[in-house]
Order: sequence, then C-alpha cells, then structure tokens
Amino acid sequence: TMRNSGAMLILTFIAILILQAAGVSPPGKPRLTSCRSPEKETFTCWWEPGGDGGLPTTYALYYHLENSETVYECPDYRTAGENSCFFNKNDTSLWVNYNITVVASNALGKNISDPVEVDVVYIVQPNTPEHVTAVVVHDEQGPFVRVSWEKPRTADTRSGWITLLYQLRVKQEKDKEWEEYNAGMQKYYNVFSLHPDKEYMVQVRCKPDHGFWSEWTQTTYVKMPDYITRERSLWIMITIFFVFIVVILTWTLNVKRNSVKLCLLPAVPGPKIKGFDKQLLKSGKSEEVFNTLVIQGFPPTTDYDNLLVEYLEVFDNEEQELVLDGKDLSEDCMKSKSPSDIDSGRGSCDSHTLLLEKCMDGREGSGSNQHQYSQHGETRWASTESSESQGPEPGSPDSANGRGKTWPVVFSSPQPQPHHHYPVGAAKPAYHSVPEILNHLSPHAMSSNYHQLNHQDILQQERRFSKPACRHSQSYNQFNLDGIDTSAPGVAPSPSLEYVEVQRVNPENMLLLRPLSDPNREPEGSDCTREDYSKVKEVTSNNILLLQRDMSHQCVDDYSQADQCTTQQPPHPCKPAVHQSNSGMPQEAIRVMGNGYVDSTVLMPSY
Amino acid sequence: MCAFVSINGVGLNDLLERASQLSDKLHSLSTSLTNDLDSHFPPVGRVMMPRPSMCHTSSLQVPNDKDQALKVPEDELLSLARSLLLAWSDPLALLSSEASSLAHPERNTIDSKTKELQENINSLGAGLEHMDSTSDNLSSLPFYTNSLGQDKTSRLVNFHFLLSCFRRDSSHKIDSFSSKFSAAGQPRRDLRCVREDMLSKCKTGPLFFVSKV
Repeated sequence: TMRNSGAMLILTFIAILILQAAGVSPPGKPRLTSCRSPEKETFTCWWEPGGDGGLPTTYALYYHLENSETVYECPDYRTAGENSCFFNKNDTSLWVNYNITVVASNALGKNISDPVEVDVVYIVQPNTPEHVTAVVVHDEQGPFVRVSWEKPRTADTRSGWITLLYQLRVKQEKDKEWEEYNAGMQKYYNVFSLHPDKEYMVQVRCKPDHGFWSEWTQTTYVKMPDYITRERSLWIMITIFFVFIVVILTWTLNVKRNSVKLCLLPAVPGPKIKGFDKQLLKSGKSEEVFNTLVIQGFPPTTDYDNLLVEYLEVFDNEEQELVLDGKDLSEDCMKSKSPSDIDSGRGSCDSHTLLLEKCMDGREGSGSNQHQYSQHGETRWASTESSESQGPEPGSPDSANGRGKTWPVVFSSPQPQPHHHYPVGAAKPAYHSVPEILNHLSPHAMSSNYHQLNHQDILQQERRFSKPACRHSQSYNQFNLDGIDTSAPGVAPSPSLEYVEVQRVNPENMLLLRPLSDPNREPEGSDCTREDYSKVKEVTSNNILLLQRDMSHQCVDDYSQADQCTTQQPPHPCKPAVHQSNSGMPQEAIRVMGNGYVDSTVLMPSY
Repeated sequence: MCAFVSINGVGLNDLLERASQLSDKLHSLSTSLTNDLDSHFPPVGRVMMPRPSMCHTSSLQVPNDKDQALKVPEDELLSLARSLLLAWSDPLALLSSEASSLAHPERNTIDSKTKELQENINSLGAGLEHMDSTSDNLSSLPFYTNSLGQDKTSRLVNFHFLLSCFRRDSSHKIDSFSSKFSAAGQPRRDLRCVREDMLSKCKTGPLFFVSKV
C-alpha cells in the first residue's frame, strides 16, 4: 500500500504536469464586483470570473449572515444575468452583514474569492426615474421648459420606506458642461433662461436619502420656441426711439443750419470803418492798412471862431463913468462892447458874496463904477444879444421879456445913447450907490421914461439879494433924492436886492419891470407869472417910478404911484393914484436908480 | 386610532420633521467620521475589528425588513427608537472624550464631529421623549465599557468599531422615519406624504423604527 500511495502520488503529479503543459488549469480567483439593492428590499451581487483555466468552470456564491455560521448558497443565479446572484425579499435582511464569497470550480479545481461584507442598507441604488417629459410652457414672462418624471417603479416611496431625491441636468447639444438642477423630492422642475430657438437635452436621476445616485435617464429633447424676450424687445424699442429722435434733430439742425451757425459761431465783428477795405487786412500789409485809416480832412481845421457863441465881454474900467442919461445906456454899452463880443466869463453874476462885497464897497463911496455899481450887483454885466428897449430889434423884446437874459452893461459906457430917451437929466452917468445916485439925481422932472421910486421906499425896505443884478432891467429907476435924505437913518448899509424882471419893452423904450418875487405873479403861461420882474408903469413927475406889481388883470398894483398908466400893456386899469407902499407892504422893493435901472431888490416900505 | 398630537404647542408634523432632519444629520456625520477613520486605518485593524454582533445594542429586537417593519405597531417602534437613543448616550460620551487623543492624523476633525454627534443624539432623544412619555417599555442596553483600550491601536480599533455600531443603529435604524399611522380604515400615509402633500389630512404617528435582528 505504501507503494500504491506513492505511485498514485507520482501519477497525480505527472498528470498535473501533463495538464499544465496542455494549458489547462484550475479556475482563477473570482472577484465580487458589486452588490446593489434598488429598493432596499432585494439586492443583487455581481462577480467576475478569474479565468476558467481552459476548462469549463462553474461558479457558486455562498454567504452567511454575520451572527450565524449557516452558509447558504445563492438562491437565484439567473434573474440578474450572468455571474450574478439575486437575493429576493425573503432572503434579504437589513441591518445585517452578509458575508459573501464566490467559488469557481472546474475539472481541475476550484477557487474561492475574497469574502465581502455587505449590509443591504448601505448599497441602495435606485433605478432611474421614468417617463421623463419636457414641455415648453408659454408664460407672459416668456416661455420656459417644464420637466416632469416619475419615480422608478420599484421604489416604494409611498410608504416612506425609501425617500428619493431627484436631480436633472440640461444642456444644448454643443455644450460641454451640463447645467444641473436639484429638484428635491418633487417630480417636476421648471427650467428658465433657456435660449430661444435652441434644442436642449434633459436627463434625470434620483438617489435615496442615504445611498447611491441612480443612473441618468435616457436623453429627452426639447426645443425652445423662437421668441423675443421682453428685455430685448424693450431695448429694440428704445433704440428705435432714440434713432428717431436723432433723425429728427439732425433734420431740424439741417433746416436751421444758418441759425445754428449764427448761434454756435457768432459773427466776429469785422472792421466797420467807412471807406475801409477789409481786403486790406487779408493782404496783411500793415502800411496799407494804416494808410487807409488816415482820413483826409480830419481833424477838422475850421475856423473856430464861427462855432462859438459870441459874447460881449464887459470890462469895468475905472475911467469909465456911468452914464445916467435918458439914453439907452444899455444899448450904448452894448454897442461899446460890441467890438469885443466875447464873454470871457469874468465874474459871476450869481455871486452872492460878490454882491455883498460890492455893496459894501459901494457904501464907502467911491467914484469907481465898480463900487458904485455894486449895489446893483455885479460890476460887470454880460451883455446879451438882445437890445434893450429899442424895439423889435432882433431878439430884444424877447430878451427883455425873457428870463435869464443878461443885460448889457448900462453904466459902463459913457457914451450917450441917442435912442435911449431916458431923461437922465441931471443924473450923472456915473454909477453910484443908491444914495449917491439919488443924491445925484436932480429933482427935475424926468421924462416919462423914468420912473422914480422914493428912495425911502427902497432904503427902508429890507434888502434882499436875490439874483444878480445883472438881470436888472434896463429901465432906470431913479430914487427920490428926497427920500434919501429923510430916510438916512434908515438906510441900510447893504440894501437887499431883488430882481426885477423886465416883462417887456414897450414901444416907448420902456422896460416894464416886475419884481421876480412877485407874489401875485401868475403861473406860467401868462404874462404876469412868466416874468417876475416888476413892471414899471410910469414915471411920475416927481421922478417917481411907478411900478406895477403884476401885469395881468389879476395883478394888483400895490405901489403904483403914477397918476396914470403910461404903460401900454396892462389891460387892466391901473390905479391912478397910488401912494407908495402905504397900502400893503410890498415884499420886494423897487429902487429906482438915477440912471434908469430898476432895482427891485430893495425892500423898503413905500410911503 | 387617529390622534392629533401636539406637544408643547408644536405640531406633531413639525416634531417629526425635526426628528427626521436630526437623523439625517446623524447619518451624515457618522458616515463622514467613518470615512475619516478609514483614511488612515491600519490593515491589522480590520482583522482585529470585532464583529457587528458584538455591538452592545445587538440584543435589541427590531424588524429587519420592510414587511416586518410595516407590521410593527407604532408605539413599539417609538419605544425601540427611544431605547436605542438611550443606549447610546454613554458610549457617545466615551467616544467624545477619547476622540481628541486618538492616534489618528485627523483626530481634531473627528473630535469635533463626535461632539456634534453627541448633541444631536441628545436632542433627538429629548424630542422623542416628548412624543412618547411612557418609559416603561424601554429596553435597557447597558454599556459597561469604560475605556477603549490600552494601546493606541486597540483604542483606535475599538473607536472605529463603536462608531460603526452607532452608525448602523442611528443612521438606518433611527433614520428610517416614516409614518405608518392611519386612522381606522384610512390608507396608509407616511410622513413624506405629509411633506409632499401638505394639504393631506393624514396624521402622523410615532417614528418608524427598523433595526436589525
């Protein structure tokens, strides 16, 4: 028997060698690849063979549960396909480890795989969702795709035994990456923001709350309709609107291009010189330009003399003596001054202080005309073009009646005035102050041209300087010498002067005077008011100057003294007998100077 | 028997919803913990690993398939769940204390996750306690182990084992919540149906609990 065993052994060994040389061998070791449970109620395991060894090999799966040693064999090798083992409900226990091995056996031997521990609850992988549909839903916001599906048939979600979570993915055919969306436990999903007129692929899969993801479903195709998104249509409208506006603006600008040009590019003022050619500027030659600017005949070199107003300039010379005669001294003076027809403007007729000064000087007594003249105002007289009482000499009546006219110097000319009929008489031509003048005055009856006021009136009246004496009328007023004597103490050193306005010159070469401050003066427009000179009405036989206060019928002749009205102008009757200033102290006094001037600036009570 | 249960003003649905969320959290935490441990686990540890039947909760009789689970009455399911949760409070405390000193490169992560696990378990247990105040049906599953081991390898292996036991018990047993509750004659609806169909009038019952045999 020993020999037999040894012989058998050798034979077996030789047989193996021969078999190996022939290429057959026991099977290779199989390997369990995976076990899966689709619904947590059954499960399936798959293995792969290790090599059959050249001989037909059979496989068997054996398992045992973790807490028992009983080994069971796979109950079902066919349901799940080849090399698989299907465990049905009865054979499936949860929360228990299965120790599974696979045995491969062929004629030469068998081989056992490594054992695998499997707990069914950990290997749950559901089947894919079913009936995936994707439809386009048209909404006011825009169309979108609604994907809907159903649970895998095997999963029992209704009882809550298994809870599935779903997931879908979308992409266009050309895209590389899928866009994934989690749908949770619901079985539908709305996909927005898909591009219009494009075809999309949709797939769905599911997973239990603890387990593996299922496989993706088969691709479902959906095509988006061709639509314009609201946003895009809005932009299109805005673009069209703006294009429209731009077109309108352009057309308007084109139509009004001239005005626009003017507005944007205002015209640069060019040189607007008469006779200047703008082309010279363009040529750029400065000499030509400047030469054209030189206008012949400029500046004008005309005779200046013709442009100036001729004035008579009156000078007071000490040699000259006032001529107090009936002549129109003013005319004489004017004539004397006519050669020098220029008003140098020396002295000011309006000088108040000058007036006073002169009066003061005059009081001291001097033979100079200046001093003597001062009482009446200025030593100089500006002569106007108007003559005095000559008549309608050019401008003379107007000047006599008008205001602001200066009177020719009457006293400065010793020349007798033939047309001046002032009966100077004994009145010396010298211009003296009032008292002096009055002294000089002869008691002779003067001509009617002379009006004489009582000196008293003048002296006692308040003197007042109003306007320069150059406005005195040409009429000479002689003061009553008597009045002077009697009223010596009343003589004020500086008699107030008042302007006498010459209203007009009557044909008898008489100046009709009227005091300027005549209260009874009528308003402008009437003879009376226009002139605030006192009007000399007549000269009485007593050498009293009758003055009329106002010329109009409304005027009141306060101190007319004459017997009759010698003046012509007053339409109203003059009061024949008027004593001097007894009735109503006239505000302004009128002095009658010996040489014919009426000086109404002296306010003195008339007797 | 239909019952409207409202606990402390909070609807039952909300409680169950909360419980379900907590169990999800537990499962994910334990799974990630297991993965972390497996990343640097010595091969010898796998050999040394105790069998799952060695879990201290393995004696608890629980339904192990769907048909059985559907047959278990609701209150029994709730008791089972509560018993399990109760059984794990001590071991989780041990795990929490040992996690920081594990011979593992990711012990910090493991430590934080373990602590979070402990919090969730306690919340879940408290919630379930509200749902079922009767405590006489609870099974006692004592845990006598005070330490994980003497050497670092065995400690690591035991930690891993204990965690696997917990994972199984919490994740899939407590996790499989469903409501089998139904009023008499009404078709069975589950918790999910309440969630999926909020308009349904079905009422929820206690937690559905399935465990291994």
